[in-house]
Amino acid sequence: MSADTTHLIAVKDLAASYGHIEALRPTSLHVAPGEFVTILGPNGAGKTTLLRAITRLIPSKGQITFNGKDVSGLKTHDLAELGIIMVMEGRGLFGEMSVRENLQLGAYKLSGSPADMNRRLDKVFTLFPRLKERIDQMSSSMSGGEQQMLAVGRALMAEPKLLILDEPSLGLAPRVATEILSTLGALNKEGLGILLVEQKAPLALKLAQRVYILSSGSVRAELPTHEIKSHHDLARYYFS
Amino acid sequence: MPSVAELSQSLVNGVGIGLIYGLIAIGFSVIYNASGIVNFAQGVFVMLGGMFAHTLLTSYGIPIWLSAIISTVLVAAVGVLVQIFVINPMWRRNAPLFAIILATLAVQLLIEQVIILTLGDRPRTYPEFTAGGPLKIGTVAIPYQFFWVLGVGALLVFALTQFFNRTRMGRALRACAQNREAAALLGIPVERMLIVAFALSAGLGAVAGILITPTQYTAYLIGTPFGINGFIAAIIGGFGSPVAGLVGGVLLGVIQSEAIVFFGAGFRNIISLTVLLVVLMYFPKGLFGGLEKKA
Ligand SMILES: Nc1ncnc2c1ncn2[C@@H]1O[C@H](COP(=O)(O)OP(=O)(O)OP(=O)(O)O)[C@@H](O)[C@H]1O
Ligand SMILES: [Mg+2]
Repeated sequence: MSADTTHLIAVKDLAASYGHIEALRPTSLHVAPGEFVTILGPNGAGKTTLLRAITRLIPSKGQITFNGKDVSGLKTHDLAELGIIMVMEGRGLFGEMSVRENLQLGAYKLSGSPADMNRRLDKVFTLFPRLKERIDQMSSSMSGGEQQMLAVGRALMAEPKLLILDEPSLGLAPRVATEILSTLGALNKEGLGILLVEQKAPLALKLAQRVYILSSGSVRAELPTHEIKSHHDLARYYFS
Repeated sequence: MPSVAELSQSLVNGVGIGLIYGLIAIGFSVIYNASGIVNFAQGVFVMLGGMFAHTLLTSYGIPIWLSAIISTVLVAAVGVLVQIFVINPMWRRNAPLFAIILATLAVQLLIEQVIILTLGDRPRTYPEFTAGGPLKIGTVAIPYQFFWVLGVGALLVFALTQFFNRTRMGRALRACAQNREAAALLGIPVERMLIVAFALSAGLGAVAGILITPTQYTAYLIGTPFGINGFIAAIIGGFGSPVAGLVGGVLLGVIQSEAIVFFGAGFRNIISLTVLLVVLMYFPKGLFGGLEKKA
């Protein structure tokens, strides 16, 4: 398919089930290079399932191409090697490790000198200065907002080509959520492809170029964000 | 009342055997932390370490230091084979953890049978690494082998601590222990890390077996008692850091050997198992589990 070479990632007929419950019906979506895509959907819509299927944390059927290459047979860690990095639901921090160790592990797959490591760390500290102040703190003892910053910072240490995030604003004060989402917007301006799952967050819509609406395990709509004028429009898709 | 001399002597004995339990405990913890699997074949690595070293030494005339190194490498390789041919296929099929744990028990019995068929069921031993001794301090006798156990134990715990905290691979192993999915999402090959964990803990078991054989003996059936005591030590240490495992082992060794002085040799296992129950009931995270979390 010629279209796939113009996509950063293209997912075709991806499906996953838990036992005989089909949590994700065959679903197709894509993210173009440098694009910011948001997936919206109510609780239990299958958003997390979709992201876990893409990153192969759960067994799934369907085809995935990344930069025009078929990567359907690859495992989670191989996909990470290619630059598909996910900040998982609940952050997935290494709780009994310091901020520094979490960040260093972010760059696990990248070889390089200590100077390279410091350069990557500095980049993350510019985005989230608070992490620098807490560099030696145990990650589990940080506030929710700081933990989410660390989760995003750690993912950036891996120098992702596609950054996937599962509800990074969950449980955060609006101001902190805004801070984190704005950072994602800035990264996207620098050319980073982003696939973001959110439940509400109007800001996530403002930042994105395109949005998919997911409900009951399948995509109900795909539309450019400028076509969404009001929340009323969204609600229509949710419950249709 | 036992005399001070008796108590000191049993203290020395207890520390000696306790260090061995500690090494076995660390082996349990390395695999458990990386995977949630309690590897009941751990004791068999201890047995193999002594058996291989003995065979290399007596049948091939290889000097003890070289026999020890070769034996450790061979046993680590056995650990890798167990992981690749037994654990990994089950792991991939998402087998329940208890099934995997039962499989490790089967591996222990299987390896014991193979050893009976190939090397026989005769107990065997070899001389201490350094001839002479024991060192006498008053009436307390300290065998030279004690210093080997102490030195190697301390060195290994130091090296392991550095490995887990300072190296890329060590950190990745800890990452797998804390959150396997997050580790995979960062490009850490979790299954390969589990192979490393098995190699490491088999090697540790082998070292324990090689060190203890001169003061006791080795035979196909020593895996179970050493495995059980190492397991109790691991629980006392809370399946935590290498230092916690070693301290857990020494505590168990000392309690056992003082119990023998006070109540007689028959009470040794009763005391160990009582200690196990008390720790499980009142310190389910091990004696240091609570402390370490706060550090
Ligand atoms: N491990 C599991 N076993 C069985 N069913 C599951 C499992 N995980 C999720 N499900 C079910 O699959 C459906 C989709 O769940 P999923 O977590 O993907 O939803 P979500 O859109 O991420 O929801 P939320 O916004 O609450 O995070 C739900 O009905 C859920 O109950
Ligand atoms: Mg979810």
